[in-house]
Order: sequence, then C-alpha cells, then structure tokens
Amino acid sequence: MSTKTTIAKLPVAAAIVALAGLADSVYLTVHHYTAEPVPCSIIEGCEQVLNSQWAEFQGIPLAAFGAAAYFVAFSLALLTVFGDRRTWRLYGVQATIMAGFSGWLIYVQAALIGAFCQFCLLSAISSIILFVIFIASIFTRSAAPEFESEQLLETD
Amino acid sequence: MKNVKAIETKSNTPMLIIVGVLLVAVLGGWWMYSSSKSAPKTNTANANSTSNSAAANKPKTASIPPGAPPGANPPNQAGSQTASVTLEEFADFQCGSCALTHPIINEIKSTYGSRIHFIFRNYPLAIPAHDKSYEAAVAAEAAGLQGKFWDLQNLLFNNQQAWTAAPTYKTIWKDYAAKIGLDIGKWENDMAGIQAKSRVDADMARGKAIGVSSTPSLYINGNAVPFAEATVSGLKKLIDAELASSNPAAANAAPANAAPANAANTAK
Repeated sequence: MSTKTTIAKLPVAAAIVALAGLADSVYLTVHHYTAEPVPCSIIEGCEQVLNSQWAEFQGIPLAAFGAAAYFVAFSLALLTVFGDRRTWRLYGVQATIMAGFSGWLIYVQAALIGAFCQFCLLSAISSIILFVIFIASIFTRSAAPEFESEQLLETD
Repeated sequence: MKNVKAIETKSNTPMLIIVGVLLVAVLGGWWMYSSSKSAPKTNTANANSTSNSAAANKPKTASIPPGAPPGANPPNQAGSQTASVTLEEFADFQCGSCALTHPIINEIKSTYGSRIHFIFRNYPLAIPAHDKSYEAAVAAEAAGLQGKFWDLQNLLFNNQQAWTAAPTYKTIWKDYAAKIGLDIGKWENDMAGIQAKSRVDADMARGKAIGVSSTPSLYINGNAVPFAEATVSGLKKLIDAELASSNPAAANAAPANAAPANAANTAK
C-alpha cells in the first residue's frame, strides 16, 4: 500500500514542484523585460547574475527557456497523474536535462560570475527536485515489480 | 487493472488543466509586466527631456543604504580615497544630461582635487533609446583595463552626439581607442570578456540596490543630490558644507588647482 501510494504521489509532487518552478521562471522572465530590480534579500548579487552575459541566449532570456521547460515538465507529470504512464519516461528525460542544465548554471554563478541570484537558485533547486522525484520513482518501482507491470508500464 | 483502465479513460481534464496553467502563466506574466510598466519607472533625464523640475521631483532614495552592494572594486575614482567628502555619480553614456553634467563634474574634480573622493559608476539604463549605453560602459571599462578609463569616458561623453545614433558607432569608438593609445586588439578582447562586463554589472547592482532611477544621479557622502543642485555652484555649496562639517579648516583652504588623480586611480 505504501509503495503504491508513494508511486502515485510522485507525479503529483512533480507537478507541484514544476508549477513552483514555472512561477519562478515567469517572474524572472518578466523582470528581464522590465529591468526592474528583483528583491535580493537572502544573498547578494541577484542583479549581477540577472544582468550578466549568461542571462540570455540569442536575445531570449534564459528564464523564458526555463519557463517553457517547467511547463513541459508539469504537463508530462500531470498526464502521468491522469494515467498516461508513457509520459513519465519523457518526464524523466526532461527532468534529467533540466537538472543537468541547472547544475551548469550553478557553476556559472559560482565560478564565472562570482555571485548568486536567489531566484535562479530556487529554479535550480526545483529542477533538481524534479530529477530526484524521477529517480525515486525508479527505485520505488523496482521495490514493487507487480505494480510496475500493472501501472507504470501500462500503455494500452 | 480495471481501475487503471478507468484512470486512463480518455478525459479532457488533464488537457484542460494544462491549458489553464498555460493561460495563468501567460496572463500572470503579462499582468506583472503591465503593472511594472504602469508603476513609476526608469527615467532618463536626457537631453530630450523638457523639464528639469520634473526630474527633480522624481522620488529618489535620499541616501545610500549601508548594506548596498559595493559596485565595481576598485571603482573608477579620482581625488583622494581618504577625503572626507565622497561624490559618487551614476551615469549612462547615452544620457544627454549626463553629457551635460560631465564638464560640471570635471570642473568640480579640478577645483577640489584631493579634497574630495570622486567615484564614477556605470548605470546604463535599459531603455530602447539607450541601445548602446551598456556596450559603451563596457568599452570604457575595457579601456580602464589598460589604465585609460577616464580618457575614453571623456571622449564618449564629449562626442556623444557623434556616435549615439550612428550605425558605425563601433568604428567611431575604435577611432577614439586609437586616439588615446589603446592596444586595440586587447581592448576589443576585453570588451568581449567577462571582466569589464562584471564591473559594469557590479556598478549597476549597486545603483539598483540604492534605487537609482534616473541618470545622472549624484550622491555626496551617501546623500542624494537634488537634480536642480547638479550645477557647479550647487555642488560646490553642498561639498563646502560637507567639508565644513568634517573639517572647518579644510573648507576654507584654497581650492586645489592640480588635476584630479584621474589617471592614477583608473580602475585596474
């Protein structure tokens, strides 16, 4: 019961985390276009990060790519919640790419810019949580092979 | 198994939720953007501005909060770092008023020499009319990496009209760079590198934290100078008052006529 419950809850948790990441990324995207300062209460250097050369790619703010990525992750997780188990694998690919990219962005902040932006870190943490949720689903599934065959791999 | 099938029954619910979230994200973003635009926002007291009094009436943070980010370190500075009076300017290379204030500041620097500590901060405004201001600030900082910040800063302000709307502005800047004896190759590399940009970004971070919303913004010992006082006489009055309060003898001393230490203190 507990394993099944955990498996059922993981996509829900993923959808909620993706929504938080989406909200954060939308906020940062809007900030990029309005050039308004963002609150930087926990750490210093938000503007240094958000006004750095890494803040955009081909003229498009990185946060906008993040918003799109979170939206895709949310959609895939939600479809899984509603029974389309195939999308969970796509979610896994998406979460892995996002976590990898977030890791690189943390490196950029730490090593190349020398400053951190709390909203960027929040986004990175969200991505990593999405990835951890996927990994957790793999381990939980191996602990319940019956459930795996009946639900997670059900495609018809 | 049946339950699973039931769950997997074709349903519009997930698609409705997905579309709903997309709408909320787009509309929410648009709402934040619109709210931000309607709020009092960045203003540039540029040459096209018709009203100085309007600029003077703009809300501005009265003083620099102690916890504000330090800005580029070391800053582009002149005079003496141990002076009791610090004049800090936030300026944008495409701002007409900044170009008009530039000779005023130069006169103040000449008049007071080492009795004041002058700091120049880059504050390129993110507005369409200032499409080259960030790049100009980076160009000046890249010149600073060769010890020539003030030389290029002077040329950029003094010749603002010549390059600000010119499609060939980069060629014009290159001419300036050659004129002041920069190693052009290194200067161009530095413009593309992170060091000069980081310095500009650091200054901007400081300005934003302080609440700078227009340029030029001047601060004397951390207190905002009203726009109307940004004249030679207005600044002298304020600086003399500060000098008098910190050291009455120094305030009465003859003005230094030596050139400010603008070359010696150029940012590394």
